[in-house]
Amino acid sequence: MRLSDIMSAANLSAYAEVAMVLFLAAFVVILLAIFAPGRKRTYDAASRMPLDDEHPQTPR
Amino acid sequence: MNARLDSFSYDDAIVRKFLWATMIWGIVGFLIGLIIAIQLPWPGFNLAPYLTFGRLRPLHTNAVIFAFAGNAFFTGAYYSTQRLLKTRMWSDALSKFHFWGWQAIIVAAAVTLPLGFTQSKEYAELEWPIDIAIAVVWVAFAVNYFVTLTKRRERHIYVAIWFYIASIITVALLHIFNNLSVPAGAFKSYSIYAGVQDAFMQWWYGHNAVAFFLTTPFLGLMYYFMPKAADRPVFSYRLSILHFWSLVFLYIWAGPHHLHYTALPDWASTLGMLFSVMLWMPSWGGMVNGLLTLRGAWHKVTEDPILKFFVVAVTAYGMSTFEGPMLSIKSVNALAHYTDWVIAHVHTGALGWNGFLTFGMVYWLAPRLFQTEIYSKKLVNLHFWLATFGILLYVVAIYSAGATQGLMWRAFDETGRLQYPDFVETVMRLIPMYWVRVVGGTLYITGASLAIYNLYKTWATRPATYEVPVVQAAPLDPVYVDDHAPEAGGFWARFTHMGWHRRWEGMPLFFSVMTAVAVIIASLFEIIPTFLIKSNVPTIASVKPYTPLELAGRNIYQREGCFNCHSQMIRPLTYETERYGDYSKPGESVYEHPFLWGSRRIGPDLAREGGKYPDLWHVRHMKNPREVTQKSIMPAYPHLETNLIDFPSIQRSVDAMAMIGVPYGDAVNNAPAMAKAQAEQLAASIEAAGGPKGLADKEIVALTAYLQRLGRDLKNASGGTP
Repeated sequence: MRLSDIMSAANLSAYAEVAMVLFLAAFVVILLAIFAPGRKRTYDAASRMPLDDEHPQTPR
Repeated sequence: MNARLDSFSYDDAIVRKFLWATMIWGIVGFLIGLIIAIQLPWPGFNLAPYLTFGRLRPLHTNAVIFAFAGNAFFTGAYYSTQRLLKTRMWSDALSKFHFWGWQAIIVAAAVTLPLGFTQSKEYAELEWPIDIAIAVVWVAFAVNYFVTLTKRRERHIYVAIWFYIASIITVALLHIFNNLSVPAGAFKSYSIYAGVQDAFMQWWYGHNAVAFFLTTPFLGLMYYFMPKAADRPVFSYRLSILHFWSLVFLYIWAGPHHLHYTALPDWASTLGMLFSVMLWMPSWGGMVNGLLTLRGAWHKVTEDPILKFFVVAVTAYGMSTFEGPMLSIKSVNALAHYTDWVIAHVHTGALGWNGFLTFGMVYWLAPRLFQTEIYSKKLVNLHFWLATFGILLYVVAIYSAGATQGLMWRAFDETGRLQYPDFVETVMRLIPMYWVRVVGGTLYITGASLAIYNLYKTWATRPATYEVPVVQAAPLDPVYVDDHAPEAGGFWARFTHMGWHRRWEGMPLFFSVMTAVAVIIASLFEIIPTFLIKSNVPTIASVKPYTPLELAGRNIYQREGCFNCHSQMIRPLTYETERYGDYSKPGESVYEHPFLWGSRRIGPDLAREGGKYPDLWHVRHMKNPREVTQKSIMPAYPHLETNLIDFPSIQRSVDAMAMIGVPYGDAVNNAPAMAKAQAEQLAASIEAAGGPKGLADKEIVALTAYLQRLGRDLKNASGGTP
């Protein structure tokens, strides 16, 4: 019995839909985490990083 | 807090090298583009067998993608990474190896593609020895890059670098898996995948080459150089993070939209469509983020040509990322696919987004790298306007060419017959627009030549020795301590505080691994069912492997790049089946290593070409297409009537095919003899029909045998004569 026989018999037609739901869920989690309040200071420091070639903006 | 300060300097010599390579290869790539643009309306411009459209078109795409855009990415990445991490690249030797290795690969491409050495997969044409070299150089770059990340003196890794990391990892994966093949000689190989699976791999690669070679690296550049040029931080850092994760999660799924209505299983193309449409939102988020970075600085845009280049670049990004999802919708795709519409789409992206972002970056870098003033700001302005009008002429002409041809293909008259049954009619209508494209392209190249001149004059006024500023910064503590973690609030507060995310960022290798995992999982979810579920590719009993002679003919078809203009994939749409015959089935391509479905019909589809015309027609048509079809724009291939068939190499081809599972039977032992027998028979029948004598050992016979075989297996199944 070959791998493709096993896979064909495994009835994985919903495979792609499951993956899509997983990825959308991960995406929503990221969305919530990024836009949660209270991180402005950190983001502001990070966003200034390209402007200074010499001094680290987020040292340590 | 560590009180000790390290002293170090940035390696700008490598940036200068990449900058020159970008501009020089850019001109080369654009020029080849201009040549092939002229060859379409004027077939006489196919001057030599090595310089035909089919061989130069892959050289053009490889040159602009991997030489121009590739070197531009490296220029910006080496400049910005060192400064964002407050460290020098880990190894100057590896940086140099990367530079010279990459340029050597480009030279190898420029030599082998005109010679006809090709894997026939778009943007992955280079043959296996060069593919191995690419993998080695890329790994050297990656090693240097990731070790540099661990040596950084800035805790947070700026979002531009996330984009670079994702690009480095994903390009490596795509390159390796799409190029797996079995060699049949020093510069010939066959993809280990066949038909539907090969198509799937190729467009998984092809689409993500656009994503992770032309989009994410350039977004990294945008997020670094736009704030630099505008002298203000990016509009929303949050949005840029969202932009990053959305692209990593969504892009990798979108490949199948290149294969709508083909023999690809329906669920896969629907999935590709859905994810492509979802991509629209984050892409526009990124575009808005780029444009709003200029908030309060719009007055500068009128004075500063560099910002002008950036504004047009980001606008072009917005336009092409709106158009991309639209084109991936099946009904729109049915009209646009195989037409020039797609060509216009990619040139909005390549000339506008990649080109203008590169030019803006180069002009911003030049005075800093050469430590002098730019020679002429007026020339920069002139470059901007020439190139902008060049793009406009190009895309307007080619969009209308695409829509025109697409509509003509599907037009029926009142009696229900094709309104333009003669394919060449739909080509003639495009010729004026092809000339407009030549004018647009010339303007774009003129602009780029001004840039080279301007850069040369700027470089000429550089100081005798470059000043190398010494920077001081403290090393990072070995362990990251989150000092303002919330003490109360439970899981949600800790989660949204994102300390976990900063810890990830603190571990660049872990972060890279997570990015790779996201990309790999998405790929596997799509690829595994296509490869392993048999019902996705039903077999057809009458489909047999090519005979040795037909295989030799197929090698010539590949060598001459016929697939650049002819598809072999009839979609199940009435106007396609009316024009070309029964639609293509997945089971018909099971021995197609690699698949040759094509992506553009500059000439008609050939999936059912076999038996449509007599053998002699093919002989005459190849010698001079205009003798048979007066208005044809196909190059002439008179040399096929004099080139000798390389019979010994046929055995190597058959053996390689047999090794990847094509049931070749007797041919494994005596392929050359079988090929000779078939060639003599075919040559005799051509001669009997009044054709030239003595073709039995000439390439034209092999090619004719191949063309006459196309689509025959299915006809045989339905009771036709063999």
